[in-house]
Amino acid sequence: MQIWRSLRAVPSWIYPLALAVLVLFLPALGIDFALIRQVQLACILALVVSGLSLSLGYAGELALGQAAMYAAGAYTAGLMSIAGYTDIVLQLVAAGLVALAVGVVTGIPGLRLGSWSLAMTSFFLVLLVPDIIAVFGETTGGRGGLIGIEPATLFGHVLDPENNEFYLVIVVVTIAWFAVMRNLVVSRHGIAFRTLKQSPVLASSVGVSVFRMKLLGYAIGALPAGLAGALFANIDMFVTPEAFGFTFATAVLAACILGGAASVYGALIGAAIIQFGPNQASDFQEYALVFYGGFLIVGGVLLSGGLAKFGKAAMARLDRAAGLAGTRTPDPAADGPRPAMDLMEGRILVVDGISKAFGGNQALNNASLSAEPGQVTALIGPNGSGKTTMLNMICGFYKPDSGRILIGDNEVQGLSPDRVARVGVARTFQTPNIPEHITVLEAVASGRYSTDRVSMVATVLRLPSYRRVRAADLAEAQRALEMVGMSHLRDETATALPLGMRRLLEVARSVVAEPRVLLLDEVASGLDENEVERLADLIRDLRDAGATVVLVEHNFRLVLELANRIVVLAQGAVIADGSPAEIEQNPRVLSEYLGVSVEETGARTIADEEAALSTEVKS
Amino acid sequence: MTILWSGLALGAVYTLVAIGYNIVFVSSNTFNFAQAQLMMVGTFVAYTGLVTLKLPVLVVAVMATVTVMILAGLEEVIAVRPVKDHQNQLVTTLGVATLISGATQLIWGSEPLTVPFFGSNEPITLLGGRTYPVEIALLVLAIVLVVLLGQFSKRTVTGLALLGISEDREAAMLRGVNVRALALAAFAASGALAGFLGLFVGPKTFAVATLGSALAIKGFVALAIGGFGSLPGALVGGLTVGLVESYAALELGSEYSNIAVFVVLIVILMVRPAGLFGRVRERVV
Repeated sequence: MQIWRSLRAVPSWIYPLALAVLVLFLPALGIDFALIRQVQLACILALVVSGLSLSLGYAGELALGQAAMYAAGAYTAGLMSIAGYTDIVLQLVAAGLVALAVGVVTGIPGLRLGSWSLAMTSFFLVLLVPDIIAVFGETTGGRGGLIGIEPATLFGHVLDPENNEFYLVIVVVTIAWFAVMRNLVVSRHGIAFRTLKQSPVLASSVGVSVFRMKLLGYAIGALPAGLAGALFANIDMFVTPEAFGFTFATAVLAACILGGAASVYGALIGAAIIQFGPNQASDFQEYALVFYGGFLIVGGVLLSGGLAKFGKAAMARLDRAAGLAGTRTPDPAADGPRPAMDLMEGRILVVDGISKAFGGNQALNNASLSAEPGQVTALIGPNGSGKTTMLNMICGFYKPDSGRILIGDNEVQGLSPDRVARVGVARTFQTPNIPEHITVLEAVASGRYSTDRVSMVATVLRLPSYRRVRAADLAEAQRALEMVGMSHLRDETATALPLGMRRLLEVARSVVAEPRVLLLDEVASGLDENEVERLADLIRDLRDAGATVVLVEHNFRLVLELANRIVVLAQGAVIADGSPAEIEQNPRVLSEYLGVSVEETGARTIADEEAALSTEVKS
Repeated sequence: MTILWSGLALGAVYTLVAIGYNIVFVSSNTFNFAQAQLMMVGTFVAYTGLVTLKLPVLVVAVMATVTVMILAGLEEVIAVRPVKDHQNQLVTTLGVATLISGATQLIWGSEPLTVPFFGSNEPITLLGGRTYPVEIALLVLAIVLVVLLGQFSKRTVTGLALLGISEDREAAMLRGVNVRALALAAFAASGALAGFLGLFVGPKTFAVATLGSALAIKGFVALAIGGFGSLPGALVGGLTVGLVESYAALELGSEYSNIAVFVVLIVILMVRPAGLFGRVRERVV
């Protein structure tokens, strides 16, 4: 275990880099030509697969268009070479840009309809490749192939294939791309991608535009495919449409599933296995489709997560054995006193005469409420009275049929959920909604995606602006965790926590964005007594710090304890609105809640009734 | 008029594929990538039965129906049921599609095989255009199926149960609908239909191993134009695709036919993402 501990002490990116340097010097070790060629082809395949990983594993969209982008890159580079532009850097840049353009242009319509549309339009794109090449037959050589590509040059120096100079170019480009991919994935953007894959609803509630993010995943994935195409065109100096057909598209998908779509280096593993395994066998071509097809079925059914998943699981086990992982048991005493809260700039929330019908069901009927900064406004009502519909309207998930919603001076009805989130509305969900495979700290930090913005370029290059925001993300997330008393769990896998902890995590995630309006949807359900106590303290602190808190809750005693003002909904309409004392005595509220008239209950209140019920349950 | 008939008949084939997508989609919310490949197997079985074995038409029809029905049932059990999320189902059904394409290539070779139509293979003249009996049969079949299935889903308990599943799977389960059995039945039914239709589709398209991917794409475009889940939409969408493809090939050249269909798809997705007959679902938290 000592060895493992010292191995883990080294930054994890050292290992792939060391391997890459080894591959770089393979020719110097006297490896024969056939193997060198296989390594080249594996690198090229890995680039294409990596692009698919970004789309499938991170943005959560199955796309088959990488083969078409690869073709676009190859033909761009080939045609440039024929026209006399043999410089490989120039070709790579141009091929990357052309592929990116293909990705954006075909991604926009494919993503408009959602679900399978991108898979199908991108599949269509692959089928179109031979047709498009045939249409431009005079320049592309049509089905016969593109001939006349000159050897590539680098700054005027001809890259000698005998000397393996072009091999170096391929390996360096591959290393560079995987560094880019790794930096992108291990960042707030990567977490945003995972959030999106987990749940588009969750992603938009932290201010991520679902469409834009999916398009980014698909379009950025085009980049390595374009680079791979340019490299491929220069290996054999000959390009035919056959290289980019359906068989190639399925090989890419098979490699991606095999390696594990949601991992950075899985693409390399998958591509290497496909290239050194089946692709090398000369009589394999005949059986290629059967093999890939069977593989996709088995892979899809059994191997979700790919080989990378087994690797990660093994590492986690070794970590635990070596005592590197944190304790798994929640231990509230481990947390110090809660830190003081910064002042929060809450805004007044005004819901003005909102109506919403789903078919014939009038979920909300001319409902109005307002919530002041520095106050807790509770929204209560029986099941189906429209509480959650109200929250969803405020967040922008539903468009109201009529009425207005204001956050401060901003009208937000009709805005998309991600834009409402960016105006400053944060929320928790009835069923905690947390992305898989990320730590508690990362999950909380993901709430800040729209608070500070960093471009992907800055992220990839790890520019100071990225580092600054990253530091702020972690510091704020740490503070938020301390507030909910969970800082000792910061390195745990977020989805592995028990229900109560996940609820508190959601509260931390919504607080970390310093929201103007905070919507808490049944946060206390499923919490034990200590946790409810901690939650109540936290809500009081938030209120005192000036936040606008809207609390949807069934625990009536908690509501009475915390709320400055209570709004009661029944059958989609507001039936009462006032201080806790007023609401507790309101006859309509009593009859809605208890189903009895005031005469029957006498002077009893809802709290009495609940107390009576809980003694009954206990006895 | 000749080109109109041939375009409409091609469109009818796409409609039939789209109907298959719809049957599965409505009953289990799965998009079966392999639907067109199943139909392709139907055309090959029809070829083997009619040409190689020279069996009577009725026997071949039963053979094709049963073979493809079993294939589709196997697909549901092996590649769809064990997979929970829809993204992965897309991968596994694509796997089935690829596997079937590869297997048919191994069994029947990659040359197109001519499947004779059991009616008559003599051209006829209708409304001033030359056409073949099989083309008219395809059109009639597509229209009849759209009407019949529409009535089935509205009038029978099973049909309503299927609509219920597509609306809310859990609610349907709680109402006592056997969701698993119906999902298997839907796959089997769409397979049986695809196999039977192979006898009609084969004479129009030839039996060829690349048929699957071409039909899959055009069937999808038909769905996208008409709207997911809509049967009349599948008819309108399918016929539109068939006509666009035929006229583009005639006017611009054969290499433009796919490109023209792609352009139509892009325009539809940009202008009316839910299709002509589709409805936009409100997002639910």
